[in-house]
Amino acid sequence: MFYRTSRDLLWIKTSLHSRRAGLDDPLRLRRAESTRRVLGLQLNPDRDVDRIHGNGINTIDIEAVEGRYMLSGGADGVIVIYDLENFSGKLQYTCKAVCTVGRSSRYVHKFSVETVQWYPYDTGMFVSSSFDKTMKVWDTETLKPAEVFQFEGNVYCHHLSPIARKHSLIAVGTTNPKIQLCDLKSGSRIHILQGHRAEVLSVRWSPRYEHILATASADSKVKVWDVRRASGSLFTLDQHNGDKSKASSEAVNTAHNGRVNGLCFTGDGLYLLTTGTDDRMRLWNSATGENTLVNYGKVCNESRKRLQFTVSRGCSPEFVFVPCGSSVAVYTLHTGELVTMLRGHYNSVDCCEFHPDYQEVYSGGKDCNILAWVPVLRPSDVEEDSDHEVKGAAGQSSVNPAFQDAWSSDED
Amino acid sequence: MSRKRALISDAFNLKKRRNGTEQFGAAAEDGPADIKSSLEYLMTLFPRKLFNDALPQIVLKHQLYSIHSDKTLVDKEVNKMRERGDLLMFQLGFDAEAFGLVFTSDYKAKVLAGEEGKTTRATVERFLEKVVSACTDLSFTKDKMLKEFLFTDSEITQLVKSGVLTVRDAGSWWLSIPNSGKFTKYFIKGRKAVLSMVKKSKYGEVLKAEIEERRTNSQVKFHMKYHIHDIVGAELVESIPTTSGTLLRSVDS
Repeated sequence: MFYRTSRDLLWIKTSLHSRRAGLDDPLRLRRAESTRRVLGLQLNPDRDVDRIHGNGINTIDIEAVEGRYMLSGGADGVIVIYDLENFSGKLQYTCKAVCTVGRSSRYVHKFSVETVQWYPYDTGMFVSSSFDKTMKVWDTETLKPAEVFQFEGNVYCHHLSPIARKHSLIAVGTTNPKIQLCDLKSGSRIHILQGHRAEVLSVRWSPRYEHILATASADSKVKVWDVRRASGSLFTLDQHNGDKSKASSEAVNTAHNGRVNGLCFTGDGLYLLTTGTDDRMRLWNSATGENTLVNYGKVCNESRKRLQFTVSRGCSPEFVFVPCGSSVAVYTLHTGELVTMLRGHYNSVDCCEFHPDYQEVYSGGKDCNILAWVPVLRPSDVEEDSDHEVKGAAGQSSVNPAFQDAWSSDED
Repeated sequence: MSRKRALISDAFNLKKRRNGTEQFGAAAEDGPADIKSSLEYLMTLFPRKLFNDALPQIVLKHQLYSIHSDKTLVDKEVNKMRERGDLLMFQLGFDAEAFGLVFTSDYKAKVLAGEEGKTTRATVERFLEKVVSACTDLSFTKDKMLKEFLFTDSEITQLVKSGVLTVRDAGSWWLSIPNSGKFTKYFIKGRKAVLSMVKKSKYGEVLKAEIEERRTNSQVKFHMKYHIHDIVGAELVESIPTTSGTLLRSVDS
């Protein structure tokens, strides 16, 4: 499965040696290899995801425990669960749909599903929210909702904290400017966060502190809350960092010059990324709310709903994957440099998710496809290696070349 | 689409087998490594004769983005120069993100030259000395002007009359360049004209080298290169490296 050049082998050998000898921090080899794999992301003809959705895909989520199952929610209200693991031994693999909440199910959402998320601790449960003004907590085995929360407006997004031990709150953003916190354990929804003036497009818990929540709204503001506090938000992000002289006076305390529709914390929770309809993406220090002023240039954003984007984990430097029109743009996190554009979708891309264990990116869009971007190792330039590759792909399994039949059957 | 050369991270000390950077075609635009020299180069593209030498040379901040690929670095350098007092930044008014850059020495010289023989000269001189040299703000509120810099109301009116301050909203003013209205007018007209030139080309795209050589029509008063740097830096056109040089493709928005 891994074809390497002699140079690659040499590098790995020396790095492994340094790692074993204690000269190098073991994390360094892992980080360097992860980074190289992310830089080699490509659309792989061998990896496919089962095409179940008949309409655009709005949201995907990969479970945090094993990284094996992926949820996707579509514009037709359908929810599908895929198995991402490749146990077939073959190079060519289609991620099969394990089960579906289809249009024929009694409990299916009536309108488009906007957000899906696995329960952070096991795959026995997942939560989905939709434009039919409900949020449903599903039991994965029976595919029936264990709990349904009803709201007055379309639900744009919801999020469960991935690290929470002391609470089991789901933050919900709807067309109502008030953010509701629903308790998974008791089913109560009395906790409300007030402060925004327009619909809340995105909510995100911090992966570092279980009580910190960030919310983004169409009123151009991003607020950071501590849910234990009785009074309002901790702070509002200001793109000018308090320098009131920079822009017109209406732009005071706004994170963007338009609707803010995407939020993403970095893996360590120290930084927060926001995207807005002013075609900008900004990186903020999540502790102080300071704009780090990293300039990513124009990040095309026409989404009227939440934009789901993601940051890599375990690489150095970290990368941001943002859906940009019909491709996914990859930027370096701290310098703002555009590394590459992942092109492959036929229509606009709505969501993308990073698989940290394999450094793969899955993206879904309006063309009803989920594409898997898999790291490709540099093609070997040694002759024998490439021959093996061809034989391996054509054959049934990756057998030791010594046992393979060296006769070619199509020659007469 | 297979990539000819894989992206390599700096963490790997592997010797690059071929030339690492993809240098295509005739575009040998490596450019000066530092920001100051690119600023000076862009300043030379500014047409002084058009305004009868009354305006200092103005460059837009995003024009630097078309020369240097790392935008964050450009921003940092510009801020450093502003803090040192070498460079002044202005909010030009037609776009929330379009900032004009002028060398401080240039600005002071032109403003004082324009104020020759006028009654407002003394106030303007005081303003330049106290405010422009001391603080790097783009706009000033009434409070600040009255209390910190000790200007009276009538003096503020004089400053607005002379063009150094422009009204922003009730009680606050932008720092501005006197007589820059003409500049803004020609600039916007020229930008639109160049953008439509790119759009009307066959397939909506044109080689950068080709459009720089084209005859400027009556709408375009500035040097073509000035406008090209502007539209590339502001990402109003897509800049694509090809084997025949850089290609500019119009963006449908």
